[in-house]
Amino acid sequence: MTAQTRQAKLSNQNGASSMRQSRRARLVIYITLILAVVAALAPVYWMLTISLKSEVDQFASPPRWLLFSPTLAHYAEAFVSRSFGQYLATSATVAVLSTICSVTLGTFAAYGLARFRMPAKLNRRLSLWILSTRMFPPIVSAVPLFMMMRDLRLLNTMAALVIVYTAFNLPFVVWMMRGFFQELPRELEEAAMVDGDSRLGALFRIILPLVVPGLAATAVFCLIMSWNEFLLALVLTQTDAAMTLPVGIAGRVTQYEIKWGVMSAAGVVAMLPILIFAMAVQRYLVRGLSLGAVKG
Amino acid sequence: MKVKFDNVTKRFGNRAVVDRLSLAIDEGEFVVLLGPSGCGKTTTLRMLAGLEDVTAGDILIGDVRVNEVPPQHRDIAMVFQSYALYPHMTVAENIAYPLRVRKITKDEIRRRVRRVAEMLEIQSYLSNRPRELSGGERQRVALARAIVREPRVYLMDEPLSNLDARLRVQMRGELKRLQHDLGTTTVYVTHDQAEAMTLAHRVAVLSSGQLQQFDTPMNIYHRPANRFVAEFVGTPGMNFIEGRVDHRTGTFSGRGVVLSLNDPQLQRLKGRERATLGIRSEHVQVAAAERDGWLRAVVYVTELMGNETLCFLQLGDEKIIARASADFRAEMETSVWTRLDMDKADFFDAESGEALR
Repeated sequence: MTAQTRQAKLSNQNGASSMRQSRRARLVIYITLILAVVAALAPVYWMLTISLKSEVDQFASPPRWLLFSPTLAHYAEAFVSRSFGQYLATSATVAVLSTICSVTLGTFAAYGLARFRMPAKLNRRLSLWILSTRMFPPIVSAVPLFMMMRDLRLLNTMAALVIVYTAFNLPFVVWMMRGFFQELPRELEEAAMVDGDSRLGALFRIILPLVVPGLAATAVFCLIMSWNEFLLALVLTQTDAAMTLPVGIAGRVTQYEIKWGVMSAAGVVAMLPILIFAMAVQRYLVRGLSLGAVKG
Repeated sequence: MKVKFDNVTKRFGNRAVVDRLSLAIDEGEFVVLLGPSGCGKTTTLRMLAGLEDVTAGDILIGDVRVNEVPPQHRDIAMVFQSYALYPHMTVAENIAYPLRVRKITKDEIRRRVRRVAEMLEIQSYLSNRPRELSGGERQRVALARAIVREPRVYLMDEPLSNLDARLRVQMRGELKRLQHDLGTTTVYVTHDQAEAMTLAHRVAVLSSGQLQQFDTPMNIYHRPANRFVAEFVGTPGMNFIEGRVDHRTGTFSGRGVVLSLNDPQLQRLKGRERATLGIRSEHVQVAAAERDGWLRAVVYVTELMGNETLCFLQLGDEKIIARASADFRAEMETSVWTRLDMDKADFFDAESGEALR
């Protein structure tokens, strides 16, 4: 055997063993990922099947994992005979409006904080102060907010929820967007202004197109937070006029019975809009969340 | 268009980054602001662009004071060191941007973009995005975006510093030609004195926010206003020997070196006991063999530059650099003979560093 072939054989063995090693590593990764997916999807599966099972099947023991006769009765009950359709509309309106408001206001605030030099380190202090409003638990503000809305005659209105959700999402938007703006070199706007554009023009034509991924990611988070919010919606709305889905669903837990089927059916429907929206902006979402991680 | 800085000061906090700067730039002139980093040259340019506020003094473009005029109304174009191309736009859109925000018709925009693209030979990648281009190509696009509009003044902030050496020399020539053809007043910032000497009609040398000298490249090199300019300009910078003047014997003595002065020099140094002598390396001759009236020096090191040899010499206790021909060879620590061409020597005040003339 020549030295060369021996060498080749050695390196071959090395290659094989490293390949085996990387295959084992990949196996571990896949198993972990599969477990994580199962953990994440198990409640969804549970909710989905419960919503399609007749009440007898729901409580069968051992549980009927897949073999049951599906029924849409719970969906019909939720959206035809009860007013879940209306709750859904309310939730959607409130979530969309508050997201638009908080993203718009927050983006401008973030731009100002990121770009303008303010005296006495005000940029940093203002930013921290804005962030600090997120530091107390929402329940602390529930009663004051209730009293404020009562005095403003806004109880049981969507306006109350839009205002409150906008206020709660604003700090988040400001901090997210401030980070995205700071990532962009100042010279881009300076070039735009020297080229003859106003600052606002530069913001709309140069800066905002570049932070679209960040805007999308921020908007998704706002939407999810508003959509899922329960506590303040419960405190501020008591009638069907402005009741959101989470509150409506929770209302099916009564003194005498728990309508698992109806609640699950409503839950499945509640999940869909966010799922669809997130899929639509997924392309931006990943880039938005990793913006700044990779320059370029 | 004429540009004038009248006693302009810029302070960040208590620090004066630009200190009472006065400059009058003529119509069509190519002026280079030259200085080491932190000398205030970029801040000066940014004040002219309207990107920084002026703390005190006036800036005039034409005959109009522009201190409070926002950048978009100054009718200037700027090339940034980083090029600042808009990443989400194609090359054509980048170049068209200054025209688009001025609401110029689409046909006119297309026509002018095409003309500028031809001028800078970038037609072939008009539909590419900036990230797909090389450094040199980006540089051309940045230039194209600046000249597409025919502004009153061009501002350039170290536009060549991100290019490799070969490309830099090529673009330097093209820039000079371009400015000549366009005839537009240009203010150019650099720390590279070769760029300053080759491009400028006049060079403004700045140091710690203060104007040191504003003159033609020729005078900057041959008649530096002070020691800073003499040292900063030229590769290598001027040699300096600090020493005493003896009017009785008509000599200048440094540490271990005695040089004789001519009459005009003695006249210039009248009433002074101390001064700094400055002499450029091309005015210091070296020879391997002893010659009459030449001084003995010890070779510290020699550097072959290709077309010449730089000799770092120990003359008495002074260190000086001499330029010799490319074929001059001398070992370290060996003796050579040297002659300082005293007719070409400059003198500077020992304390202030001001040139004595």
